[in-house]
Amino acid sequence: MAQTRKSQLVDPLIDNNPITLQVLGICSALAVTSSLSVAFVMAIAVTLVTGFSSLFISMLRNQIPSSIRIIVQMVIIASLVILVDQVLKAYAYEISKTLSVFVGLIITNCIVMGRAEAFAMSNPPVASFIDGVGNGLGYGLILMLVGFIRELFGAGSLFGITIFETVNNGGWYVPNGMLLLPPSAFFIIGLLIWAIRSWKPMQVEEREFKIQTVEAH
Amino acid sequence: MGLRNLFDRIEPAFHKGGRFEKYYSIYEMVESLVYTPKTVTTVAPHARSYIDMKRIMTYVVLATIPCILFGLYNTGLQTNLAIAEYGASGWRAWIIETLGIGFNPANPLANMLHGLLYFLPIYIVTLVAGGIFEVVFAVVRGHEVNEGFLVSSMLYTLILPASTPLWQVALGIIFGVVIGKEVFGGTGKNFLNPALVGRAFLYFAYPAQMSGDTVWTPVDGFSGATALSVSASDGFAALPERGITWMDAFIGTIQGCLGETSTIACLIGLAFLLVTKIANWRLVAGCLLGMIAFSTLLNLIGSDSNPMFAMPWYWHLVVGGYAFGLVFMVTEPVSASHTNAGRWIYGALIGFMVVMIRVVNPAFPEGMMLAILFGNVFAPLIDYFVVQANIKRRAKRNA
Amino acid sequence: MPDANEKKGLIRRFLDMPNDSVPKTVFVAVTLCLVASMVVSAAAVSLRPVQQANALRDKQSNVLQVAGVYDPNVSVAEAFEAMEPHVVDLSTGESTDQFEIDTFDELAATGDPAIIRALDEDPAGLGGSMQAYRMVYILRTEDGGIDKVILPIEGYGLWSTLYGFIALEENGNDIFGLQFYQHGETPGLGAEVDNPRWKALWNGKKLRDDDGDLQITVAKAPPPAGQEFYIDALAGATLTSRGVHNLVRFWMGEQGYGPFLERLKAGDI
Repeated sequence: MAQTRKSQLVDPLIDNNPITLQVLGICSALAVTSSLSVAFVMAIAVTLVTGFSSLFISMLRNQIPSSIRIIVQMVIIASLVILVDQVLKAYAYEISKTLSVFVGLIITNCIVMGRAEAFAMSNPPVASFIDGVGNGLGYGLILMLVGFIRELFGAGSLFGITIFETVNNGGWYVPNGMLLLPPSAFFIIGLLIWAIRSWKPMQVEEREFKIQTVEAH
Repeated sequence: MGLRNLFDRIEPAFHKGGRFEKYYSIYEMVESLVYTPKTVTTVAPHARSYIDMKRIMTYVVLATIPCILFGLYNTGLQTNLAIAEYGASGWRAWIIETLGIGFNPANPLANMLHGLLYFLPIYIVTLVAGGIFEVVFAVVRGHEVNEGFLVSSMLYTLILPASTPLWQVALGIIFGVVIGKEVFGGTGKNFLNPALVGRAFLYFAYPAQMSGDTVWTPVDGFSGATALSVSASDGFAALPERGITWMDAFIGTIQGCLGETSTIACLIGLAFLLVTKIANWRLVAGCLLGMIAFSTLLNLIGSDSNPMFAMPWYWHLVVGGYAFGLVFMVTEPVSASHTNAGRWIYGALIGFMVVMIRVVNPAFPEGMMLAILFGNVFAPLIDYFVVQANIKRRAKRNA
Repeated sequence: MPDANEKKGLIRRFLDMPNDSVPKTVFVAVTLCLVASMVVSAAAVSLRPVQQANALRDKQSNVLQVAGVYDPNVSVAEAFEAMEPHVVDLSTGESTDQFEIDTFDELAATGDPAIIRALDEDPAGLGGSMQAYRMVYILRTEDGGIDKVILPIEGYGLWSTLYGFIALEENGNDIFGLQFYQHGETPGLGAEVDNPRWKALWNGKKLRDDDGDLQITVAKAPPPAGQEFYIDALAGATLTSRGVHNLVRFWMGEQGYGPFLERLKAGDI
């Protein structure tokens, strides 16, 4: 393996981020980022699920019949997700109410399946675990960034603590209602991708076609 | 021609290799604003035509003049009417009192001036805030600042409520310019209408300042519903009881955004655009047909619980932003379909959607803005299918 | 070598098979399903008591909050002892003991035709029918008199059904508070039903005038009956406000808690 343990963990944060480079897992990133605390819990949940599903799948990788390998991965991921959901309902009831179906939908998060199929199926357990955790963290980092922007400017608070006193509560800040609506996360993620690709032009994809130019003569 | 000499003298500094090479786009902007641009489309495959981008954009701005003038009058009229009841305050009142013009709603000049005092700050903020971002992108990307911005900024100003806070005006146009246009590559590559993108941003971000009954006339304490929200809650039959006749709505002395209330002013603009062939008549006809057909269908279906079902097409035409959107937004060439068959479909789709949103969606009384943006998104797809159908037909013929 | 194979255990034999053979595939699928289902059900069973306690505490704390007796320093279960639950037959307004208090669920039991009532008029948007029994809570004063009653209410706003409680003073006419614990209204507009400043408007308002006519109004302008019946509508959320208006009037009216409130006023409870 050319990759070191450290680079496995750090690369998915920015250089190979699952959201901004691979553009995976957008659906939940839209749905759960309206407040920072919810985004935080979701980030942890996804990190745990990607980490451990990669670990278990990698441990079983030599025994999994290729004809049912996707189903096997799904069963492992789904079990882990249900576990996380049950634990949240028991120990973080308020947040699990806000997350509602989105914990369950981690099952369909392409990042989890993607890492299982692309990495864990052909790498040893520890490396897979680190890779899974790294990708979960990369996802979580973007989630937290989006959640930070949306909660701060959409509701004037961070982690539920008031930063800007809003007009409805007698303060000065007029909250931006669009940021509380899921589509705003599209814009924010889009702008983040733009910013990251301006910073690291390596990530810019090649054009699929070349625009013809006509020279004046 | 002292100015021309000045331009000619400093021009080389902005060319490749010159000292201010980076700022060529700014030089070009100022120069082409004052003089006819040197580059016009004279080369194949372009059709040779005296119509260039600058002339198109200038004509559109000219076409908005009836709307601007009537908008000034109506904004002042509504404000002065409300002031008679609620009293005047603020710097505008101070200016008007200092000039000794007064707040008489029967005096058209007093109305115009008062309207101007609302229009100008919004327009100036739009030009400055949006202009700064236009120029920044032009300089960084090395393309020219386009006259299209003059159109966008004027249309954007005309579709805002008079009471919009100026910082929101600035945020909206910046969003419109950056997200609606520049991220896709600038003028000519924007598949959405930048003015509408800015307006939609404000609509969803600050709904309290963009909708409701208190925003249309900027007088504290005054509350006046738009014709559309009255129809949505009580049915269009209630409009005459509230003092809004069809004629009022057609002429435009009703509550609404700065420059969109008057259907007749919009139609004058439309006539101008059609005669000069800036606007494609198929877009207009498609949009009218779609609206008339669908609203008539809903009239026939009828509904016990939703009074909007009964609204006839000639009311749909005169209330809300339909006429303004039809004339200045639907006909916008870049974001519309580019094939003739596609233009019919595109127009009809918008006409259908605007009635759909107005009648069926409980949350949005007005649907023109959303319908046009929806149409914008579908335009490339419509074109694609029109072109494919064309190819198939020709292949069949030659087979 | 058949001998060597026989010595291996059953599991070992399966593991040694080629991965894509049919027995191996079936073996992996079955084992995995067994293990996964055991893990999942073990977690579900062992955590269920905690989860149920959470759901109960959540509901109870909402009841306490609307009654204004919620104290974060006191455990919810302890504070809730002061609440006296009653299942009320809405048509008569009388308490009934035909249900277990602990398992009664006014929302979940709506499938049982014996306790469903069809609605002729459905201004609150309940889907044409409702359960004829409701769990209400009575908060007693220290000398045993009634301090407040807390009544569950629900109804349709703009996008969603709003679920909440209304707390009334002992005369059954003065509103103490209103709170929704679940809804899906537009953030920043309709969702401002959760805004403490708006909820505070309800305190001290009256349901009925002296003639006993229902006057409580949520609107943009005060009703002719006067300010004491009027709650200013949410800015920019006409339809959510109208939904709240309708649902409060529905539940306080004859089809809702009307008979119960009559008895409360008469001192029969």
